Amino acid sequence: MLTELETTLLGVMMMVIMLGMGASMTPRDFLIAFRKPKGILVGLLSQFAVMPFLGYMLAILLGLPPALVVGLLLIACMPGGTTSNIFAYFSKGVLALSIMMTTVSTLVAVVMVPLLLDFYGGLAGVPAESSIPPANVAQVLVVLLIPTIIGMVLRKFNPNVGATVELIGSFMGVVVIVFLVVTWVPRNYQLLLDTGATIYAATIGVGLIGMLFGYWVARALAQDTNRARTISLETGIQNGPLAVLVITLSFTGAMQQEVLLIPVLYSLFIVLTSTAITLWYRRSATREALARDAAKLGT
Amino acid sequence: MLTKTDTARPWLAAYGSEIAAELPERAHPSLAHLIAETTRSHAKRRAFTCVVPNGMNGMLRYDQVGAMSDAFASFLRHHCKLPRGARVAVQLPNGLAYPVAAFGVFKAGGVLVNTNPLYTPPEMIHQFRDSGAEVLVICDMFADKLAEVIPQTGIRHVVLAGVPEFFPRIPETIVRGVQKVWTRSLPPVPTLEVPVLRIRAALKIGRGLPKVEDWDQTGPEDLALLQYTGGTTGVAKGAMLTHGNILANLDQVKAMGGRHMTGEDCVLTALPLYHIFAFTANLMTFFALGARNILVPSPRPVQNIQRALENYPVTWVTGVNTLFNGLMNEEWFAAYPPKTLKAAIAGGTALHEAVAARWQAITGTRVAEGYGLTETAPLVSFNPLDQPVRVGSIGVPVPGTDVALVDDNAEPVAQGAPGELLVKGPQVMRGYWNRPEETEKTLQNGWVFTGDVAVMDEDGFLRIVDRKKDMVLVSGFNVYPNEVEDCLSKLDSVLEAAVIGIPDAGTGEAVRAYVVQNPDVTTQVSKEEVVAHCRKHLAAYKVPRSVIIRDELPKSPIGKILRKDLKAEVRDEFAGKA
Repeated sequence: MLTELETTLLGVMMMVIMLGMGASMTPRDFLIAFRKPKGILVGLLSQFAVMPFLGYMLAILLGLPPALVVGLLLIACMPGGTTSNIFAYFSKGVLALSIMMTTVSTLVAVVMVPLLLDFYGGLAGVPAESSIPPANVAQVLVVLLIPTIIGMVLRKFNPNVGATVELIGSFMGVVVIVFLVVTWVPRNYQLLLDTGATIYAATIGVGLIGMLFGYWVARALAQDTNRARTISLETGIQNGPLAVLVITLSFTGAMQQEVLLIPVLYSLFIVLTSTAITLWYRRSATREALARDAAKLGT
Repeated sequence: MLTKTDTARPWLAAYGSEIAAELPERAHPSLAHLIAETTRSHAKRRAFTCVVPNGMNGMLRYDQVGAMSDAFASFLRHHCKLPRGARVAVQLPNGLAYPVAAFGVFKAGGVLVNTNPLYTPPEMIHQFRDSGAEVLVICDMFADKLAEVIPQTGIRHVVLAGVPEFFPRIPETIVRGVQKVWTRSLPPVPTLEVPVLRIRAALKIGRGLPKVEDWDQTGPEDLALLQYTGGTTGVAKGAMLTHGNILANLDQVKAMGGRHMTGEDCVLTALPLYHIFAFTANLMTFFALGARNILVPSPRPVQNIQRALENYPVTWVTGVNTLFNGLMNEEWFAAYPPKTLKAAIAGGTALHEAVAARWQAITGTRVAEGYGLTETAPLVSFNPLDQPVRVGSIGVPVPGTDVALVDDNAEPVAQGAPGELLVKGPQVMRGYWNRPEETEKTLQNGWVFTGDVAVMDEDGFLRIVDRKKDMVLVSGFNVYPNEVEDCLSKLDSVLEAAVIGIPDAGTGEAVRAYVVQNPDVTTQVSKEEVVAHCRKHLAAYKVPRSVIIRDELPKSPIGKILRKDLKAEVRDEFAGKA
């Protein structure tokens, strides 16, 4: 489990990430994004309809115990993580769409995550004592909105500070994952060895299948391949550190340890899966661009 | 007729009550005087703000620009032992180091040689040798070229400046870190035979040296700039522009801007300052007014301009057709154009009607087209801002300027007929540096032969028909590429277009169009569509015989489409077939 110091540190780092996210945008960006809202709406659909359902199905099919179900459902219901923007950038995706989806899903999460957890938790028969109080989730998210707003204000009044915060925030996304790896993995080495294949399947599957579904949902709703790839990454990459934070604030002791397992493992593995998928998407994007060029040539 | 001085000026009526017919008496003997006076009278106002794409920025006040350029002048004179009249090459993108270096050169009595930062080593060598430059101020991003260039030139001192130069410490460190680690655009500085200093170190040395005492000895007849121009053929040659030329042109720009240009203005400078358009219109004119310049180091991609427009109350924009077009194709600009904007100035290349109309519709402000050339510092004509928009016109000659339209024998053409545009006025250069023959061809009795074919309306408004040497001769008919390009740019699926002539067995020459797909439109542009559209709007001989769809067109540093590069391709193409 995480010590109190680590939990506090994690909280502070999340604040910095959100500060950076706030500094990366202006109110006008929202107005512009919602002039052509289809991409974002498709993203929200795959984020809050497809992913939670997928998490639930995996939990049922793999027959996970209640504590792990809670962790898996929480991960599945989380909004997009800020690291998704870095992957969108490297996969030659639509960066603006990725940033907007992360932001909008984080805002919507305040309402949607408690509702979804309640609904799927009940459906999966999670006992009351191991479920996350919806108010906790809402509270954490609302608290995180404050640095987001501060970030937006900073950028407005001092572009130098805004841009600096934005950069630090995007680095922090990576730092948090590294932090989780170095603090959690060594202490839980034995646990990793003892963890069964089904848990690994759930952890890796929720991200990977999420990306697959995200892509096809977007394609089915007439998004072009480039936007579909962006939505795909955004769907599969959840805000793992946020899930970890919510859990540490809701549970203690052995229970915390158990619920944390899937979100922590997810945070580690999603980096690997996203890297692989990003490389693949990057190749597809390049190939499509070349094909477009070839079609245009000639007199 | 051309030797007469009492040429009729039918355009004076268009000046109205806003524009004085004659230029005011020159207020300063030289740019050094103007800079000294302005930095004193506007001391605490903001002069230059440089904005990089992520919004990080640095700012210099007028008094800071004054003190720093004094220090740089001392460094040049006493440390580099730069004699008066010696040439200093400045090869910088837009940034805070540019005005410090350029103004320092003027105060040291030197001649500024504006140099494109993207030049290749052979181009640099040519320009530095031709101008006889002794000191080079260069952007650190291009320091790797020095090893090859410096030994082949007379340059004795090199000064390096960065893009985030004079930013506050933290943003400067971050931008430099990003350049070094992320974009890998900061090459190591090679070891050279000549001393190399960073500009901060040069200023430190300069501050410890006495002020240049004879700064006020410079007069209007002294050379201020060697402004290199390639023309459309041949090697680059240096137009000799005097302090008087630039000062006159400043007054001419201010006269045309009238009450719309004040010290409260904020001008977006996305065009490069090493080009004469932005040098005079943005850097010098708005500086002289006590206004604020927002410097954007690179306007490509156009997205780079977003933070500059979002964060500052921009009232004026200078641009070329491609820049306006690019801005309007950005959703953030088209949906929320800057509210503070008063007007835009277009120049450099023909402004397409469709672009001008869209700009007016989107921003609610007008884009006033002007015309000029390097040889005239640059402004020759401009559209009066208080007159109704005259579509396709480059306006009327600016105060103190005479123009004439002549045929191939240098005889004036009839009113309304096309002829080569000749210009005379206080902004006309002294000639080309060390090139008497070229000078003689271009400059006769004080008239500059522009190489542009124009027509004049009865009331003196000018329209450029095209470059004389770009005309396409189809079965004996003149086709002006501009007209065909203008027609093509009205097609929604076309982002931009270029038209040139290709050899044709039947008609001598035939029209070829290069078009670029508009990324915002889902319909793919097709050759058939292009030809059908032209058939509807143009006479048969003007319709492109060949249409080529391209991803992009070759462009000059300020975004002029380079027909000459396309012509060179065509030469290769047809040489191969022969």
